Amino acid sequence: MEQHSYMNAQPNLDAIFAALADPTRRAILSRLADGQASVNEIAAPFKMSQPAVSKHLKVLERAGLIERDIDEQRRPARLKAREMAAAVEWLTQFKAFWGASFDQLDDVLLDMKLTQDKESEHE
Amino acid sequence: MSELPEYKLDRTFDAPRELVWRAWTDPEILNRWYGPNIETIIHQFDLKPGGSWLNEMKMGGNSDFSKMVFQEVTPPKKLVWHHCSTDANWVVASSSMMPNWPRKLLTTVLFEEKGDKTSVCLTQVPLDATDAEIACFAEAMANMDHGWGAGYTILDEIFSELQAKG
Repeated sequence: MEQHSYMNAQPNLDAIFAALADPTRRAILSRLADGQASVNEIAAPFKMSQPAVSKHLKVLERAGLIERDIDEQRRPARLKAREMAAAVEWLTQFKAFWGASFDQLDDVLLDMKLTQDKESEHE
Repeated sequence: MSELPEYKLDRTFDAPRELVWRAWTDPEILNRWYGPNIETIIHQFDLKPGGSWLNEMKMGGNSDFSKMVFQEVTPPKKLVWHHCSTDANWVVASSSMMPNWPRKLLTTVLFEEKGDKTSVCLTQVPLDATDAEIACFAEAMANMDHGWGAGYTILDEIFSELQAKG
C-alpha cells in the first residue's frame, strides 16, 4: 500500500525539535518503536482522549517523524526513524564540525612548529 | 528586533599567532584541517574583502559545497566572511537535507595573543535569514546548549529498542 505523509521527506529541523520537546510525544515515539499502533492503542496508557492523541500524532507527522496509512480506518501510525536520524545527524555534524576541525588544526600547528624548528636548525 | 541566535566556539592553540593565522589563510594548510575526517578541496581562495573561498567537502559519494565571501581580512587578528551553502555551481542554495537551515552565516574569527599561545574565537550568526531559518538555527543552538537532550535521548531509546528486536 502506498504511504502518505503530511509533508514531503525533507526533514525540517525546527519542526522535529519542536515535536521532540514534548514528553508525551517522546513517549508516543518510544511506543511506536515497538511497532505500528492505532490511535486507540497509543491512547490507552496515557489517560488521554483520542483527539488529544490525534493532535500529538499530527505534530509528529508534520515533523516527518511518523507516517500513517490513509486508506485504513484505523490509520495506524509508524515511526520514520530514518528521517529522525537524518535530522539529528545533521545537527551532530554541525556541532562536531568546528570542534573536530579545531582538533585537526591542533595537529597541523604542531606539525608546522616542528617543520619551523627543523628549518631554523639548518640556518 | 530580537537578538539573533549565535554559535560560538573558543579554543586556545599552543602556537604563536602568526602561525595560527597562516594555518587559516594558506589554502594548502587550511585544507588539511578544515572539515573533520573528510577530504576538503579548496577550488578558489582569494583572501581579500569581496574575494571568495570556494570549498568542496567530499562525504562518501556526495559533496557538500560552500562559498565563503571575505568581508574583512586583518592579519593576524581578524577574519570575517559570509558563509554560504551553495549548489555544485556555487550558487547560494538551501540544503536539500535541511531546507530551513540558514543559507548564509556571518562568520567572525578573532585571533588573540596569549603569551606563546593564541586564542581563537569563532562566531556564526544567520545572515539575511528568513524567520524560518532564524527559528531553525535558534532551535539547533538551544538544543546544543542543552546537551541535545531530547533528540539524542529519544534516538538512543529508539535505536536500542529497534536493535533489541533485531
